[in-house]
Amino acid sequence: MPEAPVAIVTGGASGIGAATVSALRGRGYRVGALDLSDRADADHAVAVDVSDGAAVTGAVAEIERRLGPIAALVTSAGHYEMALVGEISVQAWRRMLRVHLGGFFNASRACLPGMLRRRSGAIVAVASELAVGGGEHDAHYAAAKGAILGLARSLAVEVAGSGVRVNVVAPGPTDTPLLAADSPWRAEDYLATLPLRRLTAPAEVARCVEYLVCDATFSTGDVVNVNAGAVI
Amino acid sequence: MSSLKGRVALVTGAAQGMGAAHARRLAAAGATVAVNDIRASDALSELADEISGVAVPGDVSEPEVCTRIADAVAAATGRLDVLVANHAYMTMAPILQHDERDWWRVVDTNLGGTFHLVQAVLPHMRRAGEGRIVVITSEWGVTGWPDATAYAASKAGLISLVKTLGRELAPERIIVNAVAPGVIDTPQLQVDADAAGTDLASIQAHYAETIPLARLGTSGEISAAVELLADFSMEAVVGQVISCNGGTTRSRV
Repeated sequence: MPEAPVAIVTGGASGIGAATVSALRGRGYRVGALDLSDRADADHAVAVDVSDGAAVTGAVAEIERRLGPIAALVTSAGHYEMALVGEISVQAWRRMLRVHLGGFFNASRACLPGMLRRRSGAIVAVASELAVGGGEHDAHYAAAKGAILGLARSLAVEVAGSGVRVNVVAPGPTDTPLLAADSPWRAEDYLATLPLRRLTAPAEVARCVEYLVCDATFSTGDVVNVNAGAVI
Repeated sequence: MSSLKGRVALVTGAAQGMGAAHARRLAAAGATVAVNDIRASDALSELADEISGVAVPGDVSEPEVCTRIADAVAAATGRLDVLVANHAYMTMAPILQHDERDWWRVVDTNLGGTFHLVQAVLPHMRRAGEGRIVVITSEWGVTGWPDATAYAASKAGLISLVKTLGRELAPERIIVNAVAPGVIDTPQLQVDADAAGTDLASIQAHYAETIPLARLGTSGEISAAVELLADFSMEAVVGQVISCNGGTTRSRV
């Protein structure tokens, strides 16, 4: 039996990332997790800040040494906060861009050389419905997620001839630790506006990630929207 | 991976090509599959035998035929949980040369047929308290295509139908989505080659040139998206269009 393929999941210790680790392990992957926390339930976990390019390169090399060549990368690391545009500090703006867009950029750059050499790989970035429809009181988050779409689609074309696919999932409000208990996304009157009348579950996003990693072999530069009908 | 054990699916346009692949994929995932095509044929009944399903031939552009098909499936199997509306009729012609009756036959089959099918399967899904409807549209329904006014309009209409039904039926946990294939290597390609006065290899190479992944898709790759959208363990993908086109619509949201 061939060696199990290896996947890296950033933000793999909680929320969508943790659900993705579980889904990919269910499909026979051995999974390395990159997270601020080293407590991910994965085959190997490295504590790292994904906004630090050199640290991400080191962490990917460590996972490659421990588990083997990287066949798939899922970038799920992120944080969320609400603020009016005029009240977003320069630090908060930079942090948002560097974690979401920079994390995707850094992890892709660390994993791509091997994928291109082997002419095989699948990258999935976790964006957001706000990347498509814009947000309210979270412009820095929406901008960072929108930028992920631009990077993913550009990268998809750049590496399409090399056997590497790059796709995006765009979740709606998902029941994860990113949504505070008093978040307006959890309010009854908001949920009543959703065709499905409820938040998206992390496992549902992970199911779409699993599809893009394992099954969507004729898709690249595409976006799967999993949002309970929030953006149709 | 999904489990469709105990579920019953109806796949239209299933005698060959993509429809046959969807039927096999759903059967492999555990579903009992009813296969439809416009007329009874050896291919259709052999497929039904192969996957231990049932053959329900009939022209889905006729509303009463759709009702008869859906009711026959439910009578034979006790339920109807999944509809995969894969049937399609395509002709191409410059707009002034497109025969009007043929133009409407394209729209009545592709868009009208799906509308009638949804009406026919809904009572069965409502009785079960949930359902999955997967509509096969087309990349050309997103982008348009020269000389394909009828086909592209019918497929764009299906996208709007799916978005609307996604909103309308999700509160009942009947989940409606679409798959938009790009150019797929199916028997239809030979029909296109003949119509264009060229051979199969030339038309395959011609299409592949414009596809970032530099090849045509396979029926099985579309079936993978169908299986995702038929998965009862997930319902948060609502009213969406899943693209499978090798990267050609990357510039569009």
